[in-house]
Amino acid sequence: MLVLQLRELFLKKYRNYIDLELSFHPKLNLIVGPNAQGKTNILESIFLSCTGRSHRTPRDRELIQWGSEQAFIRARVEKQTGTSEIAIRLHAREKKKVLINQSPAARLGELMGHLNSVLFSPDDLKLIKEGPSERRRFMDMELSQIRPRYFYYLQQYNRILNHRNNLLKEIQKKPSLTSTLPVWNQQLAEAGSFIILQRMHFISSLQTIAQEIHSKITHGSETLTLEYKSSIPCNSGNIEKIRDNFLKILKARQDEDIESGLTGKGCHRDDIVFQINGMDVRTFGSQGQKRTTVLSLKLSELEFMFKETGEYPLLLLDDAMSELDTGRQEMLMEYIGKVQTFITLTDMNHLPVLKDRSKRVYRIYSGNAVLDESLSF
Amino acid sequence: MNYYIEPVARLINELSRLPGIGGKTAQRLAFHIIDLPIERVRELTQAIMKAREGIKYCSVCCNLTDQDPCAICSSHHRDHSLICVVKDSRDVIAMEKMRDYKGVYHILHGTISPMEGIGPDEIRIKELLNRVNNSEIREVILATNPDVEGEATAVYISRLLKPLGIKVTRIAHGIPVGGDLEYADEVTLSKALEGRREM
Repeated sequence: MLVLQLRELFLKKYRNYIDLELSFHPKLNLIVGPNAQGKTNILESIFLSCTGRSHRTPRDRELIQWGSEQAFIRARVEKQTGTSEIAIRLHAREKKKVLINQSPAARLGELMGHLNSVLFSPDDLKLIKEGPSERRRFMDMELSQIRPRYFYYLQQYNRILNHRNNLLKEIQKKPSLTSTLPVWNQQLAEAGSFIILQRMHFISSLQTIAQEIHSKITHGSETLTLEYKSSIPCNSGNIEKIRDNFLKILKARQDEDIESGLTGKGCHRDDIVFQINGMDVRTFGSQGQKRTTVLSLKLSELEFMFKETGEYPLLLLDDAMSELDTGRQEMLMEYIGKVQTFITLTDMNHLPVLKDRSKRVYRIYSGNAVLDESLSF
Repeated sequence: MNYYIEPVARLINELSRLPGIGGKTAQRLAFHIIDLPIERVRELTQAIMKAREGIKYCSVCCNLTDQDPCAICSSHHRDHSLICVVKDSRDVIAMEKMRDYKGVYHILHGTISPMEGIGPDEIRIKELLNRVNNSEIREVILATNPDVEGEATAVYISRLLKPLGIKVTRIAHGIPVGGDLEYADEVTLSKALEGRREM
């Protein structure tokens, strides 16, 4: 099996760390400390090294230490093909700079091939609980990372949609403009059918993995299904047919769309439906079922990335363990054997299952990290 | 607080309204102009006025010209049954540099863009239709940019022209000549693959 490891991490002027240097265990790393000491900041900086952005904020300014102009992050990564180094410079007023092995990266997407991670935090429950836009964002983020063309079509789609919506509002004032609507319909359907097809493939391959994991976690008592629910009929799985259906729907809804000044149907309205034993998790699932569903989903992301890239990503667990019962914790432990894992927690006693494992424990206290030698072996 | 005396401030302000000119450059240009001999300044202002007043739109292709019809439209060496439709006059210059194109042009002066409130009536599409209806046209080449707006404009025009039985073509997009496959981005590469042709 291919191994991907984060060996060392340097942070400078990053959030509450002035100067931090950590070296990690190849399998298990615990980051322990009371609340508000900077545990999540460490996970955030690892996530940033993987994706080029924070999972908590879109504003780089917030990542830079108060009173400083810039922050640095450097990560040393080891994989079967050798070591590489990722460096990110954040600047308060300039665009961030990403260097991969000392040479500048043209776009953030280049990071993808070097270091990947799956992050699991209490916030992820939003994926189930909140509206469809969260779930579309989840698909868009995943697919943009692994397929550059997807990102391109998504940007095109949003631009075309914006034009079309503007046009719909113009038509209310000047009906003669209706003659230009087919032009935008055609382009929207063109980009949209590509997006729909990619999302369908993604959800179906994710479901195969998630189903197996979920069944393991629940000892076979629950069957999880994922379904891409589109406002455009797409069961054919054929891009031309999806495009034709898309066009038909846009044409049929033309008057409604003009009246509302909005495009009512399309892949910007689509959703994922999670079901356990045939029941919709979002509406009927218990708190525990929702949590388990997210866990299954995150673990399938891990397997999915392995399938796509041939390497397991890092697993980042932000305060996620304390919410799970022992059975589910044990399921997670199975993965900890496979991938390099980073866990934040407030108290070591919360995780009795980790006691006898070889690991590294860092104690965090107001911007300082100290290796706990008695627990690390 | 104003550091400049009024006439200088006005000159700087006017210059900085030009595209590509920022505050610093405007200041440099303004002081340069003030330092010039008065005849040179007169030549400059006359050149600007002459260019602005003497130039009109060609009544055939809508390009900028000082004579009507323009040099290209009145040339006997051009194939007047072949029209290349472009977004603006700068695109004509790019095409002409190629020295290979022997047809004529039609300049739209913009592309359809509902986000900016530009519809087909705001650009020179009607003029193109009149032209096509009133003369013998063999082929119309749509050479608008390969972006969302350019594509929409091309699709719109082709929908208008196709029913008239005119051959409508779209320029190809893909790998640049002398380019290296390994440096092409994924999207360009996939477009090039889509537009491949049999050999």
